[in-house]
Amino acid sequence: MNAVTLAWTLLRGGGRKGMLGSVLTLAAVGVTTTLLMFAVAGNFAFADRAERTAWRTPVPAGQVETARQLSVLDMVDGRPMTVVYLTATGSGAPPVPPGMDGFPAPGELWASPELAALLERLPADQLADRFDAPVTGELGDAALVHGNELVAVVGVASDSPVLSARPLDGETVVGISEFGTDAASETYRLYQSFMAVATVLMVVPLLVFGGAAARLTVARRDQRLASLRLVGATPGQVVRVTVAEAILTALVGAVAGAILYTAVMPLLARIPIDGGPWFVADLWPPLWATGAVIVAVPLLVGLSAVVGLRRVVISPLGVARRQTPPGIRAARLLVLVAFVGAFLFMSSRFLGMGALGSLLMLVLLAGVFGAINLVGPWVVSLLGRVTALAARRPAPLLAGRRLVDDPRSAWRTVAGIALTGFVAGFTVLLSPQLTGYAEDRTLLTVSVPTTQVEAVTASVATVLPDGAKVTGTNEVEGVSLVDVETPVDSAAIDRFRTEVAQIAPGSPTMGTDDWVRFDDQLFTDVKTGVLVVLCVSILIAMVSAAVSGASSVLDRRQVYGLLHLSGTPMKVLNSARRMETLLPLAVMGGGSLACGMLMAMPFSSGGEIAGNLALLFTVVGFGVVGVVGASAVSRPLLASVMRNTPPRPD
Amino acid sequence: MTETVLSGTGLEKRFGGTVALAGVDLSIRRGETIAIMGPSGSGKSTLLHCLAGIMRPDRGEVTLLGQRVDTQSEAQRSRLRRSRFGFLFQFGQLLPELTAEENVALPLLLDGTPKPKALPPARSWFGPLGLAGLERRRPGELSGGEAQRVALARALVTGPAVVFADEPTGALDQANGAETMRILVEATKGQDSCLVLVTHDASVAAHCDRKVEVRDGRLVVDAGPGAAKPELPQRAGAW
Ligand SMILES: Nc1ncnc2c1ncn2[C@@H]1O[C@H](COP(=O)(O)OP(=O)(O)O)[C@@H](O)[C@H]1O
Ligand SMILES: [Mg+2]
Repeated sequence: MNAVTLAWTLLRGGGRKGMLGSVLTLAAVGVTTTLLMFAVAGNFAFADRAERTAWRTPVPAGQVETARQLSVLDMVDGRPMTVVYLTATGSGAPPVPPGMDGFPAPGELWASPELAALLERLPADQLADRFDAPVTGELGDAALVHGNELVAVVGVASDSPVLSARPLDGETVVGISEFGTDAASETYRLYQSFMAVATVLMVVPLLVFGGAAARLTVARRDQRLASLRLVGATPGQVVRVTVAEAILTALVGAVAGAILYTAVMPLLARIPIDGGPWFVADLWPPLWATGAVIVAVPLLVGLSAVVGLRRVVISPLGVARRQTPPGIRAARLLVLVAFVGAFLFMSSRFLGMGALGSLLMLVLLAGVFGAINLVGPWVVSLLGRVTALAARRPAPLLAGRRLVDDPRSAWRTVAGIALTGFVAGFTVLLSPQLTGYAEDRTLLTVSVPTTQVEAVTASVATVLPDGAKVTGTNEVEGVSLVDVETPVDSAAIDRFRTEVAQIAPGSPTMGTDDWVRFDDQLFTDVKTGVLVVLCVSILIAMVSAAVSGASSVLDRRQVYGLLHLSGTPMKVLNSARRMETLLPLAVMGGGSLACGMLMAMPFSSGGEIAGNLALLFTVVGFGVVGVVGASAVSRPLLASVMRNTPPRPD
Repeated sequence: MTETVLSGTGLEKRFGGTVALAGVDLSIRRGETIAIMGPSGSGKSTLLHCLAGIMRPDRGEVTLLGQRVDTQSEAQRSRLRRSRFGFLFQFGQLLPELTAEENVALPLLLDGTPKPKALPPARSWFGPLGLAGLERRRPGELSGGEAQRVALARALVTGPAVVFADEPTGALDQANGAETMRILVEATKGQDSCLVLVTHDASVAAHCDRKVEVRDGRLVVDAGPGAAKPELPQRAGAW
């Protein structure tokens, strides 16, 4: 009989409990695949966004300049607004900007949908007058980072004063022949490297866990496979049958997981980053990446099935005798220390090394996580040893022993949370230094031709609130920087910006508060990201708790059934199982969280962290409830095992 | 010494269309060891389960020291099994994560005795059962015979009224089986517990005071020192 047919027969012939095992494996592989897709897709999503920022940075034309481009950053309503001024040179067809039908003619204004709405909503003297043109059309998604973005494309005449402006932030007019495709914004390069770190944080525990999903199939089969060996099946046949079965199950799970991912994409798209949700299309990874995930997951499961089977194959009696597992060597601690040391030593050097530096940093970071992964089981078994030693009652005794016997399974459950907990604990205590210019005043810097300084001074008096004043003027080659100190009044400041835009177009006014806001946004996004990764870790922990709970019940169904016959209450076994999940979760998850918080303490400003803490504790609370609930999923299984096991196994 | 400890009367049990017990009467007196024999599928285990309060018979009653067992709730019967009965099965009844002595102490722990107090009485069984030195071993590190004796110690540690053993030597070789059986009978008698032993092996049954044989859910032979007089009428009825 060939391996696949035999595997299929075994799969169908496994009975209800066997089927349950397969269903659990399937669910575990499915969720793993969904989360893996998410981790992978995140990178492509940021890359997509980054790509769509590229056209705004002008790239000097190689030969013939067909157009001239000036991109500036303006502010309105406390939000950043990107304004791209374009003019055709007349020598050749100018390039068509993304999200538009054609090159804008002078006097045309193309606005993102959000900007168009804002133009409607705000009085003209706060926004619309800056453009001096009605909205010609709406920019398509291809031009936008996200749907909430404020972007304007303004067509100007080649002699427009905009093009001769010398804005404060140093942007200058560039002759172009194409819109840039490579130069993503600095911010998005930063986002992309954060996403890469987050990927490592999610993928390491996912792979560890995904491999463990195979365990369930193997655990359930080992007895029967040992019998196969006893009746003379060769080790090769046994391996082929099991691996075929594991891969078969995993393949179905992986496909289901990919489908589940597409189903939750619209929800995931709502995670706000950089001030806006995602286009759903961004979250769909390229076909090759999807295919790679769907192929890699079953292969991984098959591989760990082979590893899990080694003991069955080595000897037909291999599984009948369970022995005290050898301790985990403390030497692993040294590996961790080495990696952390290397990381700390190199971390200050990475910055100067560009792309190679980031790659090295990621490799070392993965190394650190890998090493934590080596040490984790050791700590779990230590924890189990202490618990069992101190136990006076059966539940903690059982829980402690089980942690000692199979620390890897307990570690798999908490690994993600332990890795992420540290980062979450660290970031939650940090809040951006919201120290603008002063409590209720801000400093605006206006860059205008020196000839216009008087006009600016006049509008300070007329537009800005009482108490606003010019505090200094610097002149550099005909351009003056005027510092204006003003009480904070968003509408008035927008009116002032609008007036200055009319006096000296093309050089937006920025204030100290605006720069703080950009940092603030990045910070908020990092926290959002950390929270998302934490949620993913919690999901992994939940599935893992369910799987290891079920597989430990299936592993011990004989002894549980007999214990029930002897009058052992199920309560004790359930409370042992709960403890087995909660202990490492509290100690390692809680410990890493507390560790992160402790390390962030010196940097904590103490300001706005109450809300952060509340959010974190809510997530953690749901996590604990979720993980404990997931481990309780196997209760009905335990109940059925206890009721239905005959005293003589057949 | 003639006090009846456990008795079943008119026990019937069917599983779907299969009649496992078709009216069985059996009573066991203090200190008595009784072997239930019969071919595979004849209803031996079912009888044991009914007597031990694991299953409820469809008909008939079970009493322990004059108290009805079969009408109690599952939780009550569970407590009864834990405190008044001891069990010995063919194999696989030891928790792999506990050491031998902890496995023996488990019934005491379950009844609320703290571990430091539960271990000494558990350990005291190791010497008499020929297990000295194996206290700290895990079940996976014990031979089949040793594991059965550890399980026996667990069955006896609470000082049960009745020890139930369902083919306890079925997974052991001849020599090991005989040795285990000798220890089982001796130890049970030594503390004045009754023994209800299911087996289909006559040499195993020879260790017991009394033998009954089950065929197709009925008691067909009841032989042994104390058997003849009180149960004769019932046996006649069965024929
Ligand atoms: N849980 C059950 N469900 C269905 N049939 C059962 C069950 N337990 C026992 N039987 C049937 O009842 C009869 C007696 O079984 P059992 O008491 O286990 O026999 P023995 O122990 O003498 O081998 C057999 O025909 C068996 O198939
Ligand atoms: Mg039987």
